[in-house]
Amino acid sequence: MVRLKSRYLLCEVIVPDRRHLLLLDDRAVAASVREAVARVHGDYGAALCSSRFSVKYLNAHTGIVFLRFPKRCYKLLWSALPFITSIEARGQSIACFLNCLHVGGTIRTCQKFLIRYNTQQLHRMLPKCKNEEEKQQVKKSILKCTLTKGNRKGLDFPSDDDED
Amino acid sequence: MSVFMDLNLNYTTDKSRMRSLIETAAHLGFSTVAINHVFEPTAKKKQEIPSPTLIKELIDELPAVQGRSRPIRVLNRLTVVMSDSSHFRPNAAEYRGFDLLAVQPTTEKLFHAACMLYEVDIICVSVTEKLPFFFKRAPVNGAVGRGVVFEVSYSAAIRDSTRRRYTIANAVSLMESCRGKNVILSSAAEKPLEIRGPYDITNLGLLFGLSDADAKDAVSTTCRSVVLHAETRKLASGIIYTMKSCTESSSLQGAPPADTGEAPAAKRAKPHLT
Repeated sequence: MVRLKSRYLLCEVIVPDRRHLLLLDDRAVAASVREAVARVHGDYGAALCSSRFSVKYLNAHTGIVFLRFPKRCYKLLWSALPFITSIEARGQSIACFLNCLHVGGTIRTCQKFLIRYNTQQLHRMLPKCKNEEEKQQVKKSILKCTLTKGNRKGLDFPSDDDED
Repeated sequence: MSVFMDLNLNYTTDKSRMRSLIETAAHLGFSTVAINHVFEPTAKKKQEIPSPTLIKELIDELPAVQGRSRPIRVLNRLTVVMSDSSHFRPNAAEYRGFDLLAVQPTTEKLFHAACMLYEVDIICVSVTEKLPFFFKRAPVNGAVGRGVVFEVSYSAAIRDSTRRRYTIANAVSLMESCRGKNVILSSAAEKPLEIRGPYDITNLGLLFGLSDADAKDAVSTTCRSVVLHAETRKLASGIIYTMKSCTESSSLQGAPPADTGEAPAAKRAKPHLT
């Protein structure tokens, strides 16, 4: 049975100011990726992008994006991602860049990686907690991190702590 | 898990910007960075070689690297842009404060001399203009044999479109002559928004013509060998060993005692370090 294979790219949007993150939505990210690919690879890149490229998931609070590319040309399209310098969202231009964390063949493998990554981030936040109850919250979140059935993300961030 | 390094972060006098640069690099996963002071001597007046800033003045507490428990390691580096052979004085006393030395030759003769003779660690390939000379196999092979690496920096490509063409053109011609070995990719970032993560840079290496393994080496193993090469260069043939901790001295146990006058192990023809 022949399958149409894709590659799912797990990226993190890094902005200097965290409040801009909340303005993002998936169509803005998709538009900026398409535009960057067209800028770098021209018409050929734009044509490759049109078939099976999409933004599968976007978390505005942490800035995590899942991008889907066709397997045949994902490296070429991935090479255009470092050239993104800003994203146009809701009339504002947010200066940012995309950092790719993981490439997977299915969304499920990317999810597993994301859960491990977020657990690491929580561990990194632990020594920075300012008082006891924040520490308790972070520890509880670490213990809750599992991949439950049919659940997109099993995590709950205490929103007042800054990630570095 | 390999160690990723970014050996070119441009120095600015703005301390908060340097601090956020280093923090972004640590967040992305680079375990070592080098702050680059660019020195461009003009023939007219004598200029002072900039002195390296102490890391403690710059940033109080080094942030921990993403995915590891150690803090990020910050080195100092000097780049001399040479248009004349008198600009680079070997064994100058001011160079001793810097951990890494780099040279950016602008003519063919200087490039040849830098590859074969000068005591540097890195030879920069300029990205802001079309190179007036071509890379010949002979000096490139000599440099590879000595352990000197070539550096391509990519942040000009991110900033500007015409620079992008020059970067790719120069990088591709370099890869043709050196066949992908002894190359490092680094950002010449001035703002924290210009750094990119290590896997993204590996992919950029594919655009420049490197193979998959070579591109990943360009960010990890070759950078590590540059840092080791710089350490042995400061060591005076492997005997004098100043101020290092015991973990670092174990990497130099292979260096033979220099009373026989042999070159230290790192300066001989290098196999790939794993």
